[in-house]
Amino acid sequence: MNRLIRQLKSYRGQFVAVVRNEFRAVFTDEGALLILVFALLIYSTTYSLAYGPQVLRNVPIGVIDNSHTEASRRLTAAFDAGPNTYVAYEPTDMEEARELFFQRRIYGIVYIPENYERRLLDGEQADVAIYADASYFLMYRQVFQELVSAIGLTGATVGLQRLVARGTELPQAEAAVQPVVYQSHNLFNPYLGYGSFAMPAIIIVIIQQTLLVGIGMIGGTWWEKGLYRRLCPVGRRRISTLPIVAGRASVYLLIYGVTLTYILGLHYKLFHYPDNGTTGAVIVFIALYLSAAIAFGLALSTLFRTRESSLLLLLWTSIPVLMLSGVSFPREGIPSALYRFGRLLPSSSAIDGFIRIRSMGASLADVLPEIRTLAILTVVYGGLALFGTHWVLCRTCGQDKKNGADVR
Amino acid sequence: MIGFLHHTATAARREIGRIADLRMYRVLLFYLPLVAFGFFALFFSKGVARNIPIAVVDNDHTALSRKLIEMIDAAPTPYVAYSAQSMAEGERMMREGAIMAVVLIPADFEKKLLGNVPAPAEAYITGTNITVNGLLSKDIQTVVTTFSAGVQLQLFTARGMAEEEAMAQILPVRFNRHILFNPYINYGYYLAPSFMPMMLLILTVMVSVFAIGTELKYGTAREWLHCGGDSMAAALTGKLLPVTAILVLQAFVMLFILIGIVGVPLNGSFVVMVIGTLCFLLGYQALSVLIVALLANMRLALSLGGGYSVLAFTFSGLTFPVMAMWTPMRWLSRCFPFTYYTDLFIDQMLRGAPAVYSLPDLGYMSLFAVLPMLVLPRLRKVCTDPNYWGRA
Repeated sequence: MNRLIRQLKSYRGQFVAVVRNEFRAVFTDEGALLILVFALLIYSTTYSLAYGPQVLRNVPIGVIDNSHTEASRRLTAAFDAGPNTYVAYEPTDMEEARELFFQRRIYGIVYIPENYERRLLDGEQADVAIYADASYFLMYRQVFQELVSAIGLTGATVGLQRLVARGTELPQAEAAVQPVVYQSHNLFNPYLGYGSFAMPAIIIVIIQQTLLVGIGMIGGTWWEKGLYRRLCPVGRRRISTLPIVAGRASVYLLIYGVTLTYILGLHYKLFHYPDNGTTGAVIVFIALYLSAAIAFGLALSTLFRTRESSLLLLLWTSIPVLMLSGVSFPREGIPSALYRFGRLLPSSSAIDGFIRIRSMGASLADVLPEIRTLAILTVVYGGLALFGTHWVLCRTCGQDKKNGADVR
Repeated sequence: MIGFLHHTATAARREIGRIADLRMYRVLLFYLPLVAFGFFALFFSKGVARNIPIAVVDNDHTALSRKLIEMIDAAPTPYVAYSAQSMAEGERMMREGAIMAVVLIPADFEKKLLGNVPAPAEAYITGTNITVNGLLSKDIQTVVTTFSAGVQLQLFTARGMAEEEAMAQILPVRFNRHILFNPYINYGYYLAPSFMPMMLLILTVMVSVFAIGTELKYGTAREWLHCGGDSMAAALTGKLLPVTAILVLQAFVMLFILIGIVGVPLNGSFVVMVIGTLCFLLGYQALSVLIVALLANMRLALSLGGGYSVLAFTFSGLTFPVMAMWTPMRWLSRCFPFTYYTDLFIDQMLRGAPAVYSLPDLGYMSLFAVLPMLVLPRLRKVCTDPNYWGRA
């Protein structure tokens, strides 16, 4: 019993020393500070500003009107009326339209043939041709949807007139023109804001990547300058790594707790990102995610040998990491082996769970599979962090012994 | 002139030796680009997303409601994985991540259709994933329109209309859809062409800063300058030349993967594409020289250069168009060579635009490439003054 108390006391002493040492390491090192504190704030703000307007409106298109009639002018006006497109040019022929297109002045072309009105008046089908540019995903979507709905609306009006002209009563004619009244609703992000879609995932990825690079930078510096020995307790032969890893982890948990309070609180409000989850669920889930990501960072950091190694080797992975989560690109389109590999990264499960809690209002019970994965990752990476730290300390302190220096 | 070439060659030989000596140098130049390209080639090998799970709430339970559900299931993107009892159950499944949309068919659906009364049907699609939302909403909308037209056709032919006449009644204005430049609307065609150059540019910045930064960190800058015959220009050219050459080879590997494996069409000029890629690489190398000369600190230069290079993707406007951004952000988007490279890539690979439309992009990227001229005196100072060395 006494031994246990002694052991715990010694653990607490070490823990406090490690925490103090870690705070000093982070806050006296402008490089680490830039990555572990400011990068999250700078990136979140810059990306949010870039996606500021959230939706794409008023994409310029060109209409080639060869019909020059009342009916064709009405159709052109319908393209202009919607929020997503406006008729910026009315080129005379395809050649001119093509030129405008290559000059990036228009992103879609509608061709109305000469016989447009005559066919409508004759009760036949009138043809129009749509050329939509699919080289930009969002442009294509806005242009195509707007054009198709304007044409559909125009067609329905004509259809109704025809039925009424044949002597059908108005209510029946309306039902005959549109038997199924279809309505589509977008849940949780009603205007399909781009920032509301992308930022939750981006913030989660930035958290992990800055932790990996930042802790890696400190690990690399310690190795390069032989500072790991500061963690070896004075006059002790056996090194206990548990208080070291726990102490270091709590420092990062505290730092990110502060910065994330701002990002997930005020910043979220400023940019009106979807906020349907309960605060409690968000805090518990994010704390678990931070534990997993910090453990991952501490484990990886023991592998870096110079100050800049983590930055050189990890910076490029941000985009692959984001893609592996299955958010930018639907998971059904990702080869399943790659998708499963991605589950090894804390960010993948965290993005899934966080979006469901924060944007959709899911409870912790709804994200149980993600919580389970993050808990397993915390334990596994935590174990690797203990192992890696032990190994690194043995090597540095062992070297000191060999060099005849004090174990200090 | 001959002296300059001689000194450049000496500096280049020294740099090749450094590449052979430093493992990190080789990792950055040879292995990481290939790993990154390989990742994206594998990632996009499936190409399109099919069978995204959705649920239906069928409150009608009739032949017609089942027919509509069957048709939705048969469409390429949605896959009717669950049949929920209520909207509440459907929304819970969505929060659990099991489905991405719920289709609701109210009671009396068939009765209304047969009785010539407008029959409502609704879809609730998650807006938390815009890509998935786009694919699902397009497919479900198309299916409902087709289904609706089928009902109309039966109605009108029952009234004695000829089929042609009935079609003219159902669809008075018919449109021919021409999807330009990405006929399969393959999402991989949008993303792969821009992610691989992104990887190349991040690693270009990293390796270029590394190439100069290590001279400062380890205090070998004066030796480097001496190798270039005390000419900063010769020393810099000689240092960057082998790096550029290897990066150009990597760029060819990238273009080969994009065209040959991912299957991105090459509708324009390959020559313009190659010239553009060279300007793109030189532009980012030049920016790296600028950053490291101004900061004179490898680690800080890596942080800032890295931060700047990662931002390029968002500001290229490929996903969220530059046109939609606020005005200051639109100006900012002009400060990334990648923005011009994306435009050039779309023009030359996808659109097959005449080369003349890509000349401005080439011009802007070349402007970035002359930046080092401005900082040569500063770089010389940094390289000769030991006060600047060893800082990290």
